[in-house]
Amino acid sequence: MRTLARQINILDYALSSLWRRRLKNASVLVVFTAVIFLVASFQMVTDALTGTAQEVLVNAPQITLQRMSAGRQVNIPLAYAGKLGAIYGISNIVPRVWGYYFDELTGANLTIMGLDTSRMPMGDQLRLTLAEGTFPAAGSRGSVVLGQAVRDMVRARGSQLLSLFRNDLSMASYQVAGVFSRATDILTRDLVVMSIADARDLFRIPPGQATDLCIYVANPTEIGTIARKIADLLPDTRVVTRPQILKTYRVVFGWRSGFGSICLLTALTAFVILAWDKASGLSLEEKREIAILKVLGWQTADILAVRFWESLLVSGLAFLLGVTLAYVHVVFLDGVLFRPVMVGWSVIFPPFHLAPAMNAQVFFLIFCLSVLPYLAATVIPAWHTATVRADSALSGA
Amino acid sequence: MMRPAHILLLVLIVLLAADGFLLLSSAHRRARWREQDRLRAIAVSGLGLTDLCVATEARYTRHPAVTDLVAPFMDHPGAMDHFPTGSFWAPPPRP
Repeated sequence: MRTLARQINILDYALSSLWRRRLKNASVLVVFTAVIFLVASFQMVTDALTGTAQEVLVNAPQITLQRMSAGRQVNIPLAYAGKLGAIYGISNIVPRVWGYYFDELTGANLTIMGLDTSRMPMGDQLRLTLAEGTFPAAGSRGSVVLGQAVRDMVRARGSQLLSLFRNDLSMASYQVAGVFSRATDILTRDLVVMSIADARDLFRIPPGQATDLCIYVANPTEIGTIARKIADLLPDTRVVTRPQILKTYRVVFGWRSGFGSICLLTALTAFVILAWDKASGLSLEEKREIAILKVLGWQTADILAVRFWESLLVSGLAFLLGVTLAYVHVVFLDGVLFRPVMVGWSVIFPPFHLAPAMNAQVFFLIFCLSVLPYLAATVIPAWHTATVRADSALSGA
Repeated sequence: MMRPAHILLLVLIVLLAADGFLLLSSAHRRARWREQDRLRAIAVSGLGLTDLCVATEARYTRHPAVTDLVAPFMDHPGAMDHFPTGSFWAPPPRP
């Protein structure tokens, strides 16, 4: 009980000491909070995007086969699907025709996807993903299903039809059969789904070709083996497996990106300046204060306790404030400060209702990288001064 | 008059209460998101989707999983990556 009362008295003294130098301490608190806010915001945004990708893309095609020529992806002949018949274990091959359409009026890039959905896994349930309308029957021409943003574009033109230009500038018009639900915005917002024949007609792709092939295997544990066999059989192709897609999304949002590195370097630089200021020694006034306290009978341990409380209060409050503000920024303000680099010049992008998993590991890491070094950088110079004899400290001052 | 330690305690209680509210709100949001998991699973399976629709300005940030490996620099030799999102996405791992 006496120890607790003593610590509370020391805490009171530390708080009064912080208040005496409130301008300096407030500026340290603001900078420290901003640094932790930046690091925590970036970590929460990237964690939320990575987590979302890992959750939703576990159903991506098991193998996607593209043909490469001169370092670029080119159309793949449908005859390649016939060659794959020699590989035992492949259960289904579905050709897709897809690509991008730049809408000159709005500056938006649409993703056009043409495929026979009746041949895809869960293809018969796609109507459940629609907010309105129906999914056109497989093979029916002239009907499309739109993502929310594309539907808004069509509505803004006051039209009931989606009109797109072919390569030769002739116009193709499609009836809007359905609109994807907002729940799938993170996947379908810019999507226009049509029959494969319509997509071929729009992009002028010959009937014997497709953009890529979705390949499904009977035993999912054999994806890697079958992918290797395909790569050996068709050396001019690129084989992308579902595990590779998930691996890609584990690394694309992270500190190694240019923006991530800038965030990290900015935070590190600010932190090093703070720590350097503290570690380079105490001010004359602080040394005098310590000497006077020693003359008054304070022990070295008491002086260290005061400095420890001061540093813990500044860094702990900065940590709490920084993390809280970062959460508000990411979840309630939809990461508004990062949006200019997350979406760039995109005209179509989903509403970022990010829901980061509150991962204790992340907070612990940020705590260890910020609070602990700051404590060390502050307490060690105080210990150096507190171990000097009071009279020499005073005369030195 | 209140002791400084008591004022600190009050500040900490307010901050921790705010954090507690945020934690609850986070759990609620995630639960609401999970309710729609099935719709997203059907969309990905039924359409064979490989990527998230986060940015649509460049093909290597719209479809990083299936894009050309050197897409940002392949328009001509020495071409710089001029799309802002190129700085947010780290390069995909080599297969």
